[in-house]
Formats: sequence, structure tokens, C-alpha cells
Amino acid sequence: MKFFILAYKNLKRRKSRSFLTIGGVAVAVAVLVALLGFNAGYQEALTSDVDKMGYQVIVTAKGCPYEAATMILSGEAGLRFMDEDIYNQITSDPDIDKITPLLAQLAYDPEKQGGKGGFINYLGIEKSYIELKPNVKFKSGGWFSAENANEAILGYEAAESEQKSVGDKISIPDKDITLIIVGIFERTATQEDGAVFLPLKTTQRVFDIEGKLTGIGIKLKQIEKISEFEERLYPIASIQVISMSQVKGTILNLVNSAKILIMSVAFIAIFVAIIGVINTILMSVFERTQEIGIMKAIGASRSDIFKLIWMETLIICTLGGIFGSVIAIFGGNLIELLVRKVMPYAPGGRLLLITPDLLVYSFLGVIIVGIISGLYPAFKAASMRPIEVIRSGE
Amino acid sequence: MREHIVKADKLKKIYSSTSQKIIALKKIDVEIKKGEFVTIMGPSGAGKTTFLNLIGCLDRPTSGKLDILGCDPTKFNEEKLSRIRVEKIGFVFEDFFLISFLNALENVQLPLIFARNYKNNNRPRDLLKRVGLDHRLTHFPNELSGGELQRVAVARALANNPEILLADEPTGNLDSRNAQELFNLFRDLNREKGLTIVVATHNVRLGYSADRVIHLNDGKMEKDERLVKQDGR
Repeated sequence: MKFFILAYKNLKRRKSRSFLTIGGVAVAVAVLVALLGFNAGYQEALTSDVDKMGYQVIVTAKGCPYEAATMILSGEAGLRFMDEDIYNQITSDPDIDKITPLLAQLAYDPEKQGGKGGFINYLGIEKSYIELKPNVKFKSGGWFSAENANEAILGYEAAESEQKSVGDKISIPDKDITLIIVGIFERTATQEDGAVFLPLKTTQRVFDIEGKLTGIGIKLKQIEKISEFEERLYPIASIQVISMSQVKGTILNLVNSAKILIMSVAFIAIFVAIIGVINTILMSVFERTQEIGIMKAIGASRSDIFKLIWMETLIICTLGGIFGSVIAIFGGNLIELLVRKVMPYAPGGRLLLITPDLLVYSFLGVIIVGIISGLYPAFKAASMRPIEVIRSGE
Repeated sequence: MREHIVKADKLKKIYSSTSQKIIALKKIDVEIKKGEFVTIMGPSGAGKTTFLNLIGCLDRPTSGKLDILGCDPTKFNEEKLSRIRVEKIGFVFEDFFLISFLNALENVQLPLIFARNYKNNNRPRDLLKRVGLDHRLTHFPNELSGGELQRVAVARALANNPEILLADEPTGNLDSRNAQELFNLFRDLNREKGLTIVVATHNVRLGYSADRVIHLNDGKMEKDERLVKQDGR
């Protein structure tokens, strides 16, 4: 039997109190780990989404640029229309490296998700789309046979969920048309995995929006030239130019300010947990006044008692740290679910990124907290004089 | 070679609080030799506990000289005093003072932990066997009788092989049979190992079973009797 076991045995004798205190520490650690993990994950997911999109600049009809950017990022339809002429007008701009027109449309399919119903995204594209997307590749099949063909290419998930393969037929709800699947894209881990791609002209015809686009995706030869490019497009009153790096920066800024708010909540949780730990240990020190006196009388030194009480604090904090990390890893999925519901735009991929580094730092943090919060109770216990303590017990 | 275990010279102890001053010991001169079995007798408030606490390094004298095992405790800091307590002195109390969440064996192991003596694994077991409790090793204090509790406490006091065993009213909570057995145990330990034992007690009959009886009254030494045993005990 050594000090550690002695400390452990004492905690064990007040099981519910020890567990509640450990629970308090665990919650604080879980909140901290989940928040930091979420922040890192969101940042990474957003950056990867923006990079995978392939567009440095998008041109849309005038409106809120951030709404437009997030709609395009999430592959959603609902953007206002712009004239296809604008595309023809700017396509020869000297700074443009690659450019592609986009037309997103939405249709409600009551049969989707096994009869539950849901929206399907249709994206009208031209061949230049593939040139702009760095990681769009065919899993099977290939490109449309003609600009106006009644054909479709499915995103990876769209094909999976509908159990379709090349050669199968699909129809668009409420439209009198049947499309033949000519290709299926590989997984890109973006929102477009769930989309159905049609030739641009077919989309315009089927949805009865001839000569309209919802956006133009552009890659510039040099991204530094973006302001000059923007200036040249300024005379076209009905459109706006959106730089994706700016959008990314703005979203990250917003997330960061939210993070500061949430972090302060997390720190309050930690502060409350520390007070809980100090309270528990101090209470048990006062309850054990006589016992500590006895230990001193039979030879325990100041430092022995200090060590003993300190170790109890450390055990509580260490166990709290372990449980908290476990809660964060498993409970983090719940938070992710919640965040996806509440956030106006959540990037694809895992939002919660709990790295070993993060766990190690949080763990070290909680140990330091344990060391600090154990100081006062341990000092208090160590300062008790055996003679007074034994007498007070009589 | 030093012969005395304890040597007190004009030992004085005053307890003072804001409202009053209590003189617990008034200039006591006493010398206890190695291997002596001494009882301290006297009415309540005579200063018996104060005297034991002083020679047990649990408290410091107000004035006077004190020599315990060749050391002057007044010159030691708390850390050093606890060192002496754990290595040289064994304490037995009236209320047993066992640690309630540890079983008998663990209670006896406790002083070994404080002495950082992790090697002597069998000693606690042997000691409990010596006091007749080898069948109670894993019992917790609330599962033991008064007599058994005090024997565990004696085993604990002996854990680090001390040079002196101090007992403050050790029979106060025991019936007469258990009280007699405890004194028999003290007697045997004193005979077998030459352990120096100092016991404060009210019990006149038991008190006179020692080699020497020191009578205290009102903080002063009244009488110092050395007894000559006829029954060989």
C-alpha cells in the first residue's frame, strides 16, 4: 500500500460525492475538447470545401454575396437568375484562366429516401465544369453525348442512395421527361455528391428557363488581379463578383467570434469545476480533521499529508479528464448533428476534429488545474496540528 | 552510551488562550531509562496527557530541557519532529484512533508508508499475529471489538520498531478483562524486546503492575515509585 492507494481508498469511501465531482470536471473537459475540436474541424472542413470547389471567384445575380457563396458551396438551388449573355460577355476577359456557367435547380421528389420525400438538386453544367473541379472524376460512364441530350450524370451519393448505375433511367418529378444516366462521379466529399448533373441546355429547356444561369464559376490566371477583374465587371449592374477567399475569411471570422463567446462559457464551466473540486476536497479535509491528526500523531509529516490530499485532487482531475475526453469523442457527434441543424452553412466532412494533440493538451490542462486546485486544501490539511486535532475529537 | 530514553529537566508547559492561562506542567524533572515499564498515574487534569504529548514529540514544552533519544525536540522543526515520531515513537490512544476506511492490516501498514518503509512487507502481519489477531487481518475497525481495536492500535504503534511505546489511558474504553490482557501484552513486549513503555492510566491495580509508577498531581510530580516484583511478572 502506498500513498496513491491511500488517496484512492479515501475517495472510494465517499463514492457519490467523488463521482459527482469527477462528473463536473468531465463535463468541463468535454465542453472544452468538443469546442476546440469543433473549431478546428470546421475550419478544416470549410477550407477543404472551398478548395475543392475549384472556383476562386463566382459571379452571381446581385444579392447577398455570402448567401450566394454558401448556396453555391452547399450545392443548393434558390439563387436568382442572371442572363446567359453576361457569361458570353465576360468569357473573353484576359485575366480569366477557366470559366464555367452554372444553373442550379431544385425539385421535390416525394419518392426520395424511401417514400419520406426530399429535394433533389439539379445542376446544369458544361464541359468546362470538369476542368475547373480538381477532384471530379468519373467512377463509371462519361460525359453527355450532346449539349442538349436527355442525359444525366449522378453524384456519388445520389447514385448510391437511388441504387442507379450507368444505363438506368431517371425522371424529374412533375416534368414529362426521362433521362438516361451516362455517368457517375466519384466521391468528392462535397455537397455536390448528392446532385444530379444535366447538360446546361437540357436544364434550361426542362425547367423552362431558357437563356438563364444562377452563377458563373471562374478561376483567374492570377488571383492577385481580382480587384482589377472586379472593376471591369462593375458596369454590369445586375451582377456581383464574389471572391471565395474573402467569403472563407468572413465565415471563419464569424465562427471565430462565436468561438470566443463559447470559449468563455467553457472557461466558466472549468472555473465552476475547479471550485467544485476545491469544495469537495476541502470539505473532506474538514470532515477528516481527526483522521489527519491521527496520521500526524503516528508519524505522518506535513509533506505526507500534503501529498495525500493533493493526490486525491489529482485522481479526481485525471479521472475527470479521461471521462471528459471520452464524452467529447462520443458526444461530439451529437454536437455535430445539432450544429448542422442550426448553422446556416456547415461544410461537408467531419465538423468535429479531435486530434491526439488536442486530447493531450486538454489532459495536461486539467492536470495543471488539478495541481492548482489541490494546493489550498492540501496546505490547509498539512497545517493542522496533531495535538489540537486529537483533542478536538475527544 | 546513552542509557536514558527520556530526560526532562524543569519541564514546563503552559496552555494559554486569550482568556486564560493553564499551567499543565510545573517544572517536572524525570529520567526514563531504556527498557523501563513506567506508568504515570494521577487524577484528571494532573498533566499526564501533557507529559506524554511532550515526550511523544506531539507538542513542545514552554520551558525546561527535554532530551528524547538524544535529541532536543525544541530545536526541531515540524518535519523533523514527525520523522522522530514515525521512526522512534509508537503511540496508543484511549479512543484507539484507527483509520476507519482501512482494515486492520492496512492500519498497521500505515506508519510504514509514512516512514517510506515499503520493503518490510511481512512485519504488519507478524505484529497482528503477535497481538493475537491473525484471524482479523482484513476486518475493518467497525467489525472489531474494543479489545481487538486496541490490540490493532498496539500493532500499529510497533510497526516501525520504535524505541519507546507511549500509551495514553489505553484501557479507558476497555472492560477489565481486556484491560488486563492489554497490560499483559505491554509487560510481555517489555520483557521480550526490552521495549521502553510509558503508560498513563487511572487504573491503580494495572498501574502497579509496572516497574515504576510516577504520580502526577496538579502538574507536579508527587511520587516516583520503583516497584520490586515478587511474582516474577
